[in-house]
Amino acid sequence: MIDLPFYKPHGNEIELFEHAFRKQLPLLIKGPTGCGKTRFVSFMAKKIGLPLYTVSCHDDLTASDLVGRHLIGDGVTYWNDGPLTRAVREGGICYLDEVVEARKDTTVVLHPLSDDRRILPIERTGEILSAPPEFMLVVSYNPGYQNFLKGMKPSTRQRFVSLRFDFPEPELEQQIVIGETGVDAMLAKRLVNLANSLRTLKEHDLEEAASTRLLVYAATLISSGFDPMDACRAALVEPLTDDEETAEALMEIVYASFGK
Amino acid sequence: MEEYVGALWHKFITDAADKRYPKEAVTLEQIGKTAGILFRSWGGDSGLAVKSAAATAHGAKRSLLQRIAGSNLKAELTWLDGETLHLPTAIDLFPRMDLNRDLYIWLIALAATGSDAALPWIQRNQRATQDVLARFPGLSCRYQRLKDAVLSTRPLPERLSSGEREQEEAIRAALLNPGSVERLPPAVRPPQPVYLWLHPDPPASETASGKRDDPQDHEAGACLKKENDRRYQAERVDMPDSKDGFMMSFRAESILSWAEYIKVNRPTEEDDSPDGRPAEDMDRLSVAQDGKTAASRLKFDLDLPSPASDDLPLGEGILLPEWHYKKQLLQPAHCRLQPMLARSAEPLPLPAHLSATARRLRNQFAALTPSKVWFKGQFDGSELDLDACVQFSADRMGGFQARERGLYKAHQYRDRDLACLLLADLSLSTDSYISDRERVIDVIRDTLFLFSEALSATGDRFALYGFSSLKRGNIRFHILKEFERKYNDEIRGRIAAIKPGFYTRMGAAIRHASQLLIRQAATQKLLLILTDGKPNDLDQYEGRYGVEDTRVAIHEARQMGLRPFCVTIDEKGSDYLPHLFGINGYVVIRKPAELPRELPLLYAQLTR
Repeated sequence: MIDLPFYKPHGNEIELFEHAFRKQLPLLIKGPTGCGKTRFVSFMAKKIGLPLYTVSCHDDLTASDLVGRHLIGDGVTYWNDGPLTRAVREGGICYLDEVVEARKDTTVVLHPLSDDRRILPIERTGEILSAPPEFMLVVSYNPGYQNFLKGMKPSTRQRFVSLRFDFPEPELEQQIVIGETGVDAMLAKRLVNLANSLRTLKEHDLEEAASTRLLVYAATLISSGFDPMDACRAALVEPLTDDEETAEALMEIVYASFGK
Repeated sequence: MEEYVGALWHKFITDAADKRYPKEAVTLEQIGKTAGILFRSWGGDSGLAVKSAAATAHGAKRSLLQRIAGSNLKAELTWLDGETLHLPTAIDLFPRMDLNRDLYIWLIALAATGSDAALPWIQRNQRATQDVLARFPGLSCRYQRLKDAVLSTRPLPERLSSGEREQEEAIRAALLNPGSVERLPPAVRPPQPVYLWLHPDPPASETASGKRDDPQDHEAGACLKKENDRRYQAERVDMPDSKDGFMMSFRAESILSWAEYIKVNRPTEEDDSPDGRPAEDMDRLSVAQDGKTAASRLKFDLDLPSPASDDLPLGEGILLPEWHYKKQLLQPAHCRLQPMLARSAEPLPLPAHLSATARRLRNQFAALTPSKVWFKGQFDGSELDLDACVQFSADRMGGFQARERGLYKAHQYRDRDLACLLLADLSLSTDSYISDRERVIDVIRDTLFLFSEALSATGDRFALYGFSSLKRGNIRFHILKEFERKYNDEIRGRIAAIKPGFYTRMGAAIRHASQLLIRQAATQKLLLILTDGKPNDLDQYEGRYGVEDTRVAIHEARQMGLRPFCVTIDEKGSDYLPHLFGINGYVVIRKPAELPRELPLLYAQLTR
């Protein structure tokens, strides 16, 4: 029996992932930050039993960071595979987290891998690798970020089967908080209600909604014996805003749930 | 002397009559932002504004001292209507500031939770109290404290006459055990106001009372513009149409106050008392439609100029939809937008006073031009830097201890495939002066000049348009620079010719600008909106209607893949702009004079 990480499905995402894997389709997961995208992928990798190569994309990420590059040795150069190439050679899930953060010319190397050719041409060594059936490409991004000069090329986006994640329903989220931290049901319920109050402020007063991850942080602090109100300030209020007045208002919402 | 003594007496007697604690007061201004955030997070409608409430007469019994002092006639209570959450201007009921603040928070929670308006007042408030306590268990200890504090300020039932006594007992029971009281026993007078509950009989809002015959003829912001922003309770009544002059239909000795509504047939007499104080003493302001057109009531003439002297209209005009927030539907072909070109715009060079700044900006912005360069000697890169490698190997073979150096080449380039459309508000409000010499429109003109200078240095594609409107049939869309045109003296001439126009029907202008921008081939499209105030127009396009239509227009632009961004010099912009553009979609420039220099820098930041 393998030790699976904790994961509560929202809907049919496990089934979809398995079908996509079997039929060798690449998968795109979109959803707000901290709603369980990365957890889902590592859960699925464990469940199917494949190695997982995770790349966190950033705007300095070049194609050679994915594919590989020549390194200088003692008088010679030798080729070193990047994570994408390694996943293609050995079979496994290559997971590109926050793929829009990478420059667009970088993601173009994914194109031949993500259609029916499933090949990875390596220009510098002249190799053409074709992906084994165990290889799967998964990318994720957060559509909420208004990254002006970035954004996914439609031609890239069109190559993926897409899955939308959102924050779970209150009852499910309570179970997740309980499952992750072992807090009691009453506290989980209060935290989830609080998070849902805070989420209604998205776009008007806050840039980002309170994530399930932050809720789990707050619950973890509380269950290890930290004062609930201070835990909420540290894990839910301060991470969401830098503005002092807004932070005070958010604390009022916390007081309304936890008493003062 | 007489006045001095009078003032002393007034202070003495009001202090004695009413137990208030002005030193411990919490004002709405202090907690305004918090109030908005709390209201929205607890489920209140995010389109509502938070404003101070009008004091309303409660009609309850007053003590002897209060009657001598002439105080405790009215109470500031909380209520909601379609556009606004009305909260008391200040709360100084309790001797402790934290209690006064708690009362605000309690009232916000009560208003946000909402209750069935069909229930009688006493049941409605008990139900709302129960709901709030169930939803926010953390508020229950506050409720206990507030309830005790409120009970201590209420009259003792034993000292009231029968009827009032039962009523007071019922209210006390309802406060102690919400949900326990079914009905309010009848009494001669209404009970003392309950500050912990919502308004028993919210005054009808402006939009709710009275139907206008002609939606085109609206009173166009003619409402009293007050320094203190306090709202007055107003009703709309029909203008009497009888022709028989002043007719006394009541006994003259019953005229007690300024507040009686007298049917006098004096349709156009203007009596704008500069001293608006009597209004504060009135229970209700009566506003009648006097059958005159808006223009006669406004101080300025807003007729369209004659075709000969007006700008050159291009084409038949474009029909655009508009969002009706109450009906929640997009009304197709509701507005006509007329593209126009300045008639007498001579080609001009850049104004002399801007040339120094323009030169500096051009230099700064030249650095943003797209470039593709191989950087050698990098520690990381996609290619080996052969020169460095050879040097490195040779050094090693020659026995030198070569210091560490970069052996890679990196191909760095900036991807600036973008188009920007700047839409400037040219409404009449830009005619106001912001300093001794400059009007808003002058600042906007300078901004357009410097923005164009800076952008033409980067090579980014850009277009400039201006807009103003006069009702839905006349949205004037001034063409200053199209995308395909080069920025030259002719364009500068058009910029120099901009002048303040009419009103701000922002939604239609944004919709048309979005259409123009979406046709550009660039992958990134920025829609910059430069304004000095809220959307408004003569017809129903004001207040929430205008804001909601603009919001929908912005949303549509986002759906199309544009990025709208608003730059405003309206200091109150933070009240409504987050609702329109989102928290990161706008910026308020506090010193308008700095706008010309700020905007290009802002553009550089946005597109970095």
